[in-house]
Amino acid sequence: MTIATGIFRGLLLLAAIATFAFLLAPIAALLLQVPARDLPGLLRETAVTSALLVSLKTNVIANLIILIVGTPAAYLLALGRFRGRPALLTLLELPLVLPPAVAGIALLTAFGAFGLFGTALADAGIFLPFTQAAVVIAVTFVAGPYYVRAAVAAFASLDRNQFDAARDLGAGEGAIFRRIALPLAADGLRAGWALAFARGVGEFGATLLFAGSVERITETLPLAVYAQLDVNLDSAVAVGILLLAISGAVLLVAKLPPLWSPTRTSTPVGGW
Amino acid sequence: MPNLRHIPALLIALAASAVAPAAASATTVYAASSLSKVVPTIAPDARSSFAGSDTLAFQIEQGAPADVFLSAAPLYAERLHAKGLCDTPVVFARNTLTFVTPASNPAGITRVQQLDRPGGYRLAVGGKNVPLGIYTRTLLGKLGLGRALQKNTVAQYQKATDVVTAIALGSAAAGFVFTTEWQANRSRLRAIPVPASAQPLIRYVACVVRRTGADTAGARSVITRLQSTSGRQALLAAHFDLPPKP
Repeated sequence: MTIATGIFRGLLLLAAIATFAFLLAPIAALLLQVPARDLPGLLRETAVTSALLVSLKTNVIANLIILIVGTPAAYLLALGRFRGRPALLTLLELPLVLPPAVAGIALLTAFGAFGLFGTALADAGIFLPFTQAAVVIAVTFVAGPYYVRAAVAAFASLDRNQFDAARDLGAGEGAIFRRIALPLAADGLRAGWALAFARGVGEFGATLLFAGSVERITETLPLAVYAQLDVNLDSAVAVGILLLAISGAVLLVAKLPPLWSPTRTSTPVGGW
Repeated sequence: MPNLRHIPALLIALAASAVAPAAASATTVYAASSLSKVVPTIAPDARSSFAGSDTLAFQIEQGAPADVFLSAAPLYAERLHAKGLCDTPVVFARNTLTFVTPASNPAGITRVQQLDRPGGYRLAVGGKNVPLGIYTRTLLGKLGLGRALQKNTVAQYQKATDVVTAIALGSAAAGFVFTTEWQANRSRLRAIPVPASAQPLIRYVACVVRRTGADTAGARSVITRLQSTSGRQALLAAHFDLPPKP
C-alpha cells in the first residue's frame, strides 16, 4: 500500500466517522432525554395510542397505493422509449422539492372544498379534508415520488437482453414483468420503498394542512408529537422515539435479503 | 477544468460566516406570529423570529439568542420569568376572538349557538395548550357551549394562522380566530357576531430576556417603542386593542 493510498483510505474513514457522528448524535441525544423505564408510561396515553393506529392504518394504505400504482408506472417510464421522457421524470420529482406546508396548500387547492376538483368531489358526495382519506393522499403525494424515482432507476438498470431472450422463448410482456423484471429489480425497489415509507411515516406539514389534526381520525404520530410539545416535552420525545423505532424496524426489514425469493439471480446493490 | 484549489478556503469562509453572529448590533426579537406585521414597523433594525408563543418560550428555555420576547399570552412569559429567564412581563396590547366562516359560508352558519347541534359542523380551533385554543375554550365556556368541541368534528392546530387557512380554504365550516387575523383576511373570511360579554381577556406581554450576552438595552428600547404613541398607532393599525396607558 502506497502512502497516497493510505492517506486516501484515512480520509474516507474520517468522512464516514463524521457522517455517522453528525447524523446519530441528535438521535442519541433524543434517546437520552427520557429514561427508558418512563417510556411505556408515556406511550400508554390514549392520544398516543390513537395516533399510532391512525399512522399505521393510513401509511399501510398509502404504501400499498404507492407500490401497486407506482411500480407499473415506473416500469413504463423506465423501459418506454418516447420523446419528453426526461421532462416527465423531472415532473415526477417536483413534489420532492415542495416544502411540506406548500404541498399541503397545493393539495387543498386541488382537492379541498374550494379546490380545482372540490365541486366535482362534492357532487360525488366526497369531502376530503378532516378525513383519513386526506391523510392517505398527503402521505402518497409526499412519499410516492421517492419510490417511483428509485423504481424507475431500478428498472432502467436491468439488462434488456434477458427480456429479449424471454420473448424469444415465447414469454408474454406480463410474464416478463412479473417473472423477470420484478425479481431482478427487487433490491432497488425495496430500497426505494424503504425511503418512501420513512418519508411517509414522518409526514407532517402536508397532512396538517390538508387533512387537519382531528383526534382519532387524522392525528398521526408526527402531528401528536407537535401537539404534545405544548403539554409535555417528555411525552413528545417518547412519541418521537416510538416513530424512530417503527421506522428503524421497517427500514431494517426492508434491507434484509428476502427469504421468499429463492430464484433471485441479481447481485445485491452496493456492497463495496 | 475548473480550479478546485480554492474550494477548501471558500468552504472555510462560508462556514465561518454561517457560525458568526450576524450584525452584533441588531436586537433579536422573538415575537408571536400574530405580531409579524407590527414588529417590523416598530423595530425595523431588529432581527425577528416569529412563531407560536409556546414554541418561542420553549426555544428561549433551550438557550435561543433572544433579547426580547413578545408573547400572545401572559402564561408563557410568566413561566420564563418564574425560571429567571426573563424580567417581569408588561402588557402592551390586547386582542379579541372572532367567530368566522369561509366568505361563502357554505354551511350557512349564522349564530354561534348552532355549534350546540349534535353531529354538527367541521370546526377549526387552536390546540388546547396554545393561546388561541385556551381563549377559544374560555369563550365557548362563557357562551354555555362548553361541549361544542365534543359535538362537532374538530381539527386542532398549534398555529393560529393554520386555523385561518383551514377555514379560508373551506376545510372547516367555521372556527375561532384572533380578530387581528380576521381583519388581515377579510376577503376570505366572514365574521359571525359573538356577544362581547363572552370575550376572554387576551393580553400580549413583552419581557426582556435574561441570558449572558443579551442586548438588554436594545430589548428595553423595543418595549419602550411598543408602548410609545407610534407603537400604539402601529398596533391599532394592525387591529389590536390597547391596554390603558401605563
